[in-house]
Amino acid sequence: MPHKIAILGAGPSGCYLAQSLLKLDDALEVDIIDRLPVPYGLVRYGVAPDHQGTKGVARQFARLFERQGVTFIGNLDVCTGDHGGEITLAELRELYDVVVLATGLPTDQKLGIEGEELEGVIGSGALTRAWNDHPDSHDLPPAKTGKTVTVIGNGNVAMDIVRILSKGEGEFEGSDFGTHHAERIAAAGIERIEVIGRSPAHMAKFDPVMVKEIGKSARLRFEIADLQLSAGAEADNTRLQALATLAGIAPDDARCTVSFRFGWSPVRLVGAGGKLTSAHFTRADGSEALDLPSDTVITAIGFCDDARLGRADLVAGATDIDSGRLAPGLYAAGWFRRGPRGTIPENRADSQAVAAAIVEDLASLAASDKPGRAALQARFDRLTDYAAWQRIDEHERATVSEGRVRSKLRSRRDMLALALNETETPS
Amino acid sequence: MKITILYGTETGNTEMLSEDLESEFGSDHEIEVKNLSDVAPEDLDLTVFHVFLCSSYGDGELPASAKPFAEALGASDTDLSGLRFAIFGLGDSDYETFGHGSEQLADMLVKHKAEQVGPRLIHDAQGGDLAEDLAFPWFEERVAEVEALSDAA
Repeated sequence: MPHKIAILGAGPSGCYLAQSLLKLDDALEVDIIDRLPVPYGLVRYGVAPDHQGTKGVARQFARLFERQGVTFIGNLDVCTGDHGGEITLAELRELYDVVVLATGLPTDQKLGIEGEELEGVIGSGALTRAWNDHPDSHDLPPAKTGKTVTVIGNGNVAMDIVRILSKGEGEFEGSDFGTHHAERIAAAGIERIEVIGRSPAHMAKFDPVMVKEIGKSARLRFEIADLQLSAGAEADNTRLQALATLAGIAPDDARCTVSFRFGWSPVRLVGAGGKLTSAHFTRADGSEALDLPSDTVITAIGFCDDARLGRADLVAGATDIDSGRLAPGLYAAGWFRRGPRGTIPENRADSQAVAAAIVEDLASLAASDKPGRAALQARFDRLTDYAAWQRIDEHERATVSEGRVRSKLRSRRDMLALALNETETPS
Repeated sequence: MKITILYGTETGNTEMLSEDLESEFGSDHEIEVKNLSDVAPEDLDLTVFHVFLCSSYGDGELPASAKPFAEALGASDTDLSGLRFAIFGLGDSDYETFGHGSEQLADMLVKHKAEQVGPRLIHDAQGGDLAEDLAFPWFEERVAEVEALSDAA
């Protein structure tokens, strides 16, 4: 019997891992399990809705299920300890020769300062999940902003958020950004977006191309401050060059000003009656202070673990975290292994390395006597499969609004109705 | 005909297209597929028709797996006279550097005296076409051109 491998998490790292495993040994039996009824994780729910080209990697992943014999098992919540869930990680490990954790890091990193609980403070993960119609966002109040928005963070997630907030309602053509979200942003009438981070501009974490892209939206005016902190940087610094392309943009009919500030650390968020009114910052050496009036603060300073799989203990006790080996038969890949760093291609390389470690270890493992997916299918009657995803996919493309490529189902209930052929049809 | 397909990839999309070409045309031709990261410029067999597939990444840069080859070629005076090649790009017209990766690679090959056959076509991730739907007919046309050139010689 071939060895049976369960990969937890059907996002890019999990899918690349399956792809790499099968390149090394196409006899392996690989299942990809996800908590959601649908596959592709951050490709569907994290990559910005107006970056459809980036989502193109999903075509590679579809091949896994359509041609390469990988099985998708959706709507199965695997947990550890007291976190609820339907099956524990320990139980799952009994069913497979190898379990790989590729569930990412879903929780917004907190600033750890006073005022973070105020109304008007939103984490980037919560916001982008809402904008991407993640089913866990379905019951939350709609993500709305005031007229003055401060985005804390200088990475690509912050740039995605600035770009989406600053685009005009008509600039989402060809995306899968829900028209309800675009309308809400337009209705907010945002007049000023402050983008502020700790690093000086030449060391900021954004990719230059992401900054240049913001400059392509119509009727924005740009202000770039704090470049004196980058006075010693090399002339060909691509981040400074990208910011310079924005600096000259100041149309007479600007509808919104986007201001970039660098070298500021947040110290306090201040509110009145429980609602945010301003964000306070300081220089690292305390030499200067800055108060930015803000109706909304969006934190985009990274992601951390939600503890549902006991990641901290697994990583601390890992056999060799660099190669993804957590314990015999248990591995980690992607952000779950390496932390919240790196783009899709970097995590592809990571998955290739972890796959090589797994195949190396399997060589000395006896043939499999594990039940694998059959045991899951016998125990759970509401699992979804790849055919279910294809029905959802087809529905989402068929019911699309004008100018969009997809109209996502927004609740688990609607997804499961289609996925499980239940009588209630989605609205 | 003997054909070598060399791909430069960052996310794997171009690698997948290489495999698709091999599956589609492998029964008619003797096709070898290699990642550019595994190839050195001086090892190219100049008598074999080479098809390069190359994406762009970041700000119009070459994809990671093409970079070592391009750096080695740029730093060398390798003479590629006699090498016939065709090149297909993959890009995303959301960015103004659309297709720059394949353009850079084509320019370098020509600079080292290789002979480009036919136009460089670029698949656009924003467009409605699948990469293989553009690449398959393009590939057939290029192969026909090379066959005609070989017959004439």
